[in-house]
Amino acid sequence: MSERTDVVKKDQSMPERSREIPAVVPLVDIYENDEEILLRADMPGVEKKNISINIDNGKLSLGGIRKFESKGSAQWEEFGDVEYQRTFSVPQTIDIEKIVAELKDGVLNLHLPKSEAAKPRQIEIKAA
Amino acid sequence: MWTRWSDIDRMFQTMDLLHNRMNRLFPEYGGSSAIPAWAVTQGGPRTNLYDLGDSLEMKVEVPGVEKDALNVKVQGNYLEISGSRKSDAPEGYSSHRVERGTTSFTRSFTLPSDVDTGKVGAQLTNGVLTLTLSKLEAAKPKQITIT
Repeated sequence: MSERTDVVKKDQSMPERSREIPAVVPLVDIYENDEEILLRADMPGVEKKNISINIDNGKLSLGGIRKFESKGSAQWEEFGDVEYQRTFSVPQTIDIEKIVAELKDGVLNLHLPKSEAAKPRQIEIKAA
Repeated sequence: MWTRWSDIDRMFQTMDLLHNRMNRLFPEYGGSSAIPAWAVTQGGPRTNLYDLGDSLEMKVEVPGVEKDALNVKVQGNYLEISGSRKSDAPEGYSSHRVERGTTSFTRSFTLPSDVDTGKVGAQLTNGVLTLTLSKLEAAKPKQITIT
């Protein structure tokens, strides 16, 4: 039994613990209407310039890095530097040229407009 | 058959232990588990506190919470932060996925020293609230010169 606790203690002070920043999946909301798909992602602490949005072959990948310059001695730390990462499949009907992204209060709003061809259309019936 | 709640607690503790050990073995996998998701929902937003000598700095993670929806109260060495996030679901949209949810929280802290309530700075940037609390004169570190 005593041997076992020893092993645990050694584990906790392992010097080779990775220094990489942990990757985290941001929480998202996805909404859709006739005009567009709206994606909202919580990315607190990420600056605008550290967000990357890539669309390639129907895959939308969202990335963001959060880095804090911590000064002073930490009394407690419940959150730290993270890398937000998430990939979505987007339909081909999205008009990639017209995608708009905005960042407000740590929430990323991504508007993915549908192309004209994909919008629902009302067909009028002509009287014969 | 579980006879006591403590048995279930113990089971969860064992699972957490295993979880931590696995994380330590494979730090590169399942990065999302570095901070377990269930730890966030309990007791309000996550905070960091730094001691800068003359002042304390607190960072609070509040994504999607507007400036007006946050309240900060300070008295002596007691700090209380409360706020709420209302549903920001847009009108006329159908939802495919809603993970972000709404919350309302109050979290209070005992600071390591008394702070000057007149000199509290609060700034909200990118969903992180930064509070700068300067310590009272009595609590500040003093340089003593040896004569």
